[in-house]
Amino acid sequence: MKKKKTSTLLLFFIVLVSGLLFACSNGNDNGDGSVELRFIAANHPWTEAIEPLLPEFEKETGIKVKFEKYFEDQLTQKLTTEFTAGSTSIDLFMMRPLQEGKLFNLNGWVADISSYTDDADWEYGDFTDPSVNSLKADDVLFGIPIVTEREILYYRKDIFEENNIEVPKTVEELMNVAKLLNDPANDFYGFVARGQSAAAVTQFSSFLYGFGGDFFVDGKATLDTPEAIEAFQFYGDMLREYGPPGVLNMSWPQAAGLFGQGKAAMYTDADSIYPNLTDPEKSVVGDKVGFTLFPAGPNGQTPYNVTSWGLAVNSKSENKDEAMEFIKWATSKEVVAKLQDNGVPGPRQSVWDNQQGTDTFPSELVDVINQANAIGREYDRPLVIKVNDARDIIGTVIVAAIQGEDVEAAAKAANKQFQELLDDEK
Amino acid sequence: MGMWIERHLKFIFLFPSIIFVLLMIAYPIGYTFYLSFFEWSMSSLQPPEWVFFDNFKALLFDDPRFWPAFFRTFYFTALALVFQTVLGVAIAILFNRKFRGNQLVKTLFLLPMVATPVAVGLVWLLIFEPSIGFANQFLNSLGINPQLWIASPEQALPSIALVDTWQWTPMITLITLAGLSSIPSEYYEAAAVDGANSWQNFWKVTFPLLLPTIFSAVLLRVIDAIKQFDLIYAMTRGGPGFSTETLNIYGFVNGFQYFKLGYTSAILVLFFMIVLGISSIIMILRKKTEVTL
Amino acid sequence: MRKAKRLTYFNYVLIILVTLIFIFPFIWMLIASFKTQAQIMSTDTALFFQPTFDNYRSVFGEHNFLTYIINSFIVAFVSTVFGLILGLPAAYAIAKYKQQKLGFVILIARIIPGISFMIPWFIIFTKLNLTDSYTALVLSHMLVGLPFIIWIMIPSFEGLPAELEDAARVDGCTLQGAFVKVLLPLVMPGIITSSLMSFILSWNNFMFALVLSGEKTKTLPIAIFNFMSYSEINWGALMAAAVIITFPIIIISLFVQRYIISGVTAGAVKG
Repeated sequence: MKKKKTSTLLLFFIVLVSGLLFACSNGNDNGDGSVELRFIAANHPWTEAIEPLLPEFEKETGIKVKFEKYFEDQLTQKLTTEFTAGSTSIDLFMMRPLQEGKLFNLNGWVADISSYTDDADWEYGDFTDPSVNSLKADDVLFGIPIVTEREILYYRKDIFEENNIEVPKTVEELMNVAKLLNDPANDFYGFVARGQSAAAVTQFSSFLYGFGGDFFVDGKATLDTPEAIEAFQFYGDMLREYGPPGVLNMSWPQAAGLFGQGKAAMYTDADSIYPNLTDPEKSVVGDKVGFTLFPAGPNGQTPYNVTSWGLAVNSKSENKDEAMEFIKWATSKEVVAKLQDNGVPGPRQSVWDNQQGTDTFPSELVDVINQANAIGREYDRPLVIKVNDARDIIGTVIVAAIQGEDVEAAAKAANKQFQELLDDEK
Repeated sequence: MGMWIERHLKFIFLFPSIIFVLLMIAYPIGYTFYLSFFEWSMSSLQPPEWVFFDNFKALLFDDPRFWPAFFRTFYFTALALVFQTVLGVAIAILFNRKFRGNQLVKTLFLLPMVATPVAVGLVWLLIFEPSIGFANQFLNSLGINPQLWIASPEQALPSIALVDTWQWTPMITLITLAGLSSIPSEYYEAAAVDGANSWQNFWKVTFPLLLPTIFSAVLLRVIDAIKQFDLIYAMTRGGPGFSTETLNIYGFVNGFQYFKLGYTSAILVLFFMIVLGISSIIMILRKKTEVTL
Repeated sequence: MRKAKRLTYFNYVLIILVTLIFIFPFIWMLIASFKTQAQIMSTDTALFFQPTFDNYRSVFGEHNFLTYIINSFIVAFVSTVFGLILGLPAAYAIAKYKQQKLGFVILIARIIPGISFMIPWFIIFTKLNLTDSYTALVLSHMLVGLPFIIWIMIPSFEGLPAELEDAARVDGCTLQGAFVKVLLPLVMPGIITSSLMSFILSWNNFMFALVLSGEKTKTLPIAIFNFMSYSEINWGALMAAAVIITFPIIIISLFVQRYIISGVTAGAVKG
C-alpha cells in the first residue's frame, strides 16, 4: 500500500503545483462592477508627474486606472504582442506617434477618437497644430499628444562669457565655436550630441533639414543627395573633431551626463531633457546652462518639433468612453499646466502662453520653445512602418561619418537599403 | 496499481520529460524551421506568406549585416577561447600545488562564473568607461594612453571577449585542476627515471594526458561563447554601429525589435546549424585525442 | 598523488595577484555601490570617501527591487523543483535502461542556442495570453535547468550498484518505491549539485525573461538592465543593484563551493 502512496503523492504534487502556477497567471477580474482602466504606460517623467494627480480623477469620475509601466522598447513589444493576440484588456496606452503611430493605425489597433473632439470644455483646438498632426492620418484622429519636443542647442553661458563668444546662430558658427572651445587635453570638448547610431538619427534630423535634405521624398529615398551627404559629413566632423571620446556609444543619457559634468561647451538634443542638465543633483553646471534655438543650416532654420508621446485608445477596448474620459482629464488645461509645472513640455498653446504654465521653465527656454513651435518640422525620423529598421540603416551613415570613413559610399549603400524598405512598404 | 507502475516504470519515468522535450524543444525547433520559409512580420496584418528559400537567399546574398555578424561571432569566440584556455591552463598549473589558503583561492575563483552576466556586464561597463573607468586609470598609471574600450568599434568586441575571459577562465582552470589531479603519479616517476626536467615533464606527460580534459572544457566554452548574448546585449546592444552584433544579437534584434518573424527564423536556423556543426567537430576532435593516448 | 611542488615566494605572490585580479571587479562594484554619483565621477576618491547608503535606499525604495528579488526567487525555485520532479526519474530511467538516444536529445538542448526557441514560444505564449506570467518563465527556465539536472544525474545513477534495487525489492519495495526511498538518498550530492546549478542558471537568466516577462513578473536581470536605460546613468545605484543580484549567489557559492565546482565542471571530467 505504502509504495503506491509515494508515487501517487508525487503525481498529486505535480498536479497541485501546476494548478497553482496556472492560477497565478490570470486574474484581473474586478468584482465590484466599477470600471477599472488598464493603462499601459511608459516609464517617463510624464507618467511620474501624473500618478500623484490620479486620485483627483478617480474621485471625480469613479473610474479606476491601473498603470503598467514599461521602458520604451519593451512598451512597443508589449503592445505589439498583446494587440496581435487581439487583446481587449488594454484600454488605453502611451505611444510614440512617430515610432509606432503609422504601424498601429494601419493595423487598426487604435480607435478613431475624432468624434470626441467637439467637447467645448476640453478645447481640442488649443493643441498646437504640429502636435496633433502626427496623430492624424487622413480624417482619422488616433491619439492625443501629451509630450512635445524640439531640438535645441544647450550651451555653457559662463564659458561663452569668459571667452566673449556670441551664441552660434548658424551651423557654420557652431563649428567655429566648437573648434575654438575644444580642449581635449583638459578633458573638455567643444560639442557633444548623440553618436549611438539609431539613437542619433532623431537628433541628426534637424541638421539634415537645415542642410536641405530629408529622409525620403515621395517614396524615393534621399539619403545620398548632396545635401544629405553634406549634413552627415558635418555631423560626423563635429563629433569626431570636437566631440568627446567614445561618442559612438552615446545616447542621450551619456551625452547629457557629459554635458552635466561640465565637460562640453555645447550640446544639441531634445528640449525635454533639460531638467537633467539643470537639476543640481544630476548636474554640476545647473545654473550655467544656456538655451538657444537650433542653429540655421544653409537651407534655413528647421529644428524638429514633434509629439514624442501621445495617448491612444485600444480599438478593441470595451471601455472606450471611460478611457476617453481619462484622456480628456489628463490633457485638460489644468492638468497639462500642472504637468508642465513639473517640467514636462506639453502640447497646449494656451499653457505655453500662460505665465503659470511656464513658471518652472527657464524663461530663456520658453522663448526658444515658442520660436521653435512656430518653425519646427513635425517629424524627427522617417515616417515609415519599420522605423527601427530605418533608424538602424540611417545610423550606419552617421557612424561612418563620425569615424571619418567615406560618407558618400556609406550614404549610397544605406540609401539602397532604405529604398528597399520603402518599396517593401508600398 | 503499484505493480502496473513498476511494469511500465521506464515509460512513466521518462514520459514527463519526453513531453516537456517535445513541447518545449522539438516543437519550437520544428516550428522555427517551418517559419523560416515564410515571410511574416508580426507587426503587419498580412498573414504569413510562403516564400520558400527567399529568406535564406536574402540572408546569404543580400543582407549587409548577416556575414559581418557571422564572422564577428567566430572572431569573438576565437578571441575569448584562446585567452581563457591559455590563461586557464596556466593558472591551473600555478594553483596545482599545496599551499595555505588553497581552498579559499579556489572558492574565490568560483565567483566570476556564478555571477549574473548582466550584472557583470554593467560592472565592466563602469570599469571600461573612458573618462572615469578604472581601466583607463590603470593604463594611465602605467603611462599608457587611455583607450576607448567598448566605445570604439574596433575595441568593443575584444573588450567584451576580455570580460568573457574574466568570467570563464576559472572554469577552464577548475576543469584542468580536476584533470591534473587524476594523472597517475607513476607517469611522472617513469619520466623522472628517464631524467626529464620539469619543462619536458609538462610537454611529454602532463600536456598529452590533459588534452582530452582541455578539449572537453573548450567544447563547453565554445558552445556558450558562440551563443554569448547577455554580456553583449547588456554592454553594447550590438553597438557602436553594429560592431558587436553577433548572430545571436542579430537574430534577437530582427525578431524582437523588427518583429520579422520569418526572416529571424531563417537566421536562427542557420545559427542553430552552425552551433551544432561546430560542437560536433570539437566532439570528433576530442574522440581523436583520446584514441591517440 | 604526485609529490607536492615547492612553493616559491614568486609563486605565492603570483597566486595572490591572480586571485586579486579575478575578484577585483566585485570589489570595485561593492565600493562604487557606496559612492555618490559625484564620487564616482571624480577619480580622486577611488578608495577613501564618505560612504553613502543612498544607492541601496533608492534601489529598494524607488525601484522596488524587493519585488524583483521575489520574482526571481519564485521562478528559480519553482523551475528547479519541477526540473527535479521531471529530471530525476528521467535520469534514472536513462541510466537504468540505457536510453542513450534520449540522453543525446537532452545534450542537444544544452547545445542549441536558447534564442532558437524564442520565436515559437513567443507566439504560443502570446496566443495563450501567458506572456508576463510565471508559467511562461518557469517553463522556459526549466529548459535551461532540466538538461543540466539530467546531465548531472545520469552518471550519479549509473554509479549505483544494481544490487541496491534488488535488495530493496526483497524488502518488499516496488521499483518506484526503491527509487524514492533507497536510491534518491544515495545520490543526494548529485541532487544538491544539480539543483544549485539549475537555481543559479535560472537566477542569472536574462534572454528568456527579456522577452517573456512583463511588469508583474520582471526578474532581477531585467530590472537591473532597465535601470540603465532609464534617465541618466546613476552608476552608484546601478552598482548597488548589481551587488544585490550577485550577493545571494556569492553567499551560496561560498558555503557549498564543493557542489558548485562539480556542477560547473560536470561533463568535462570523468568520474
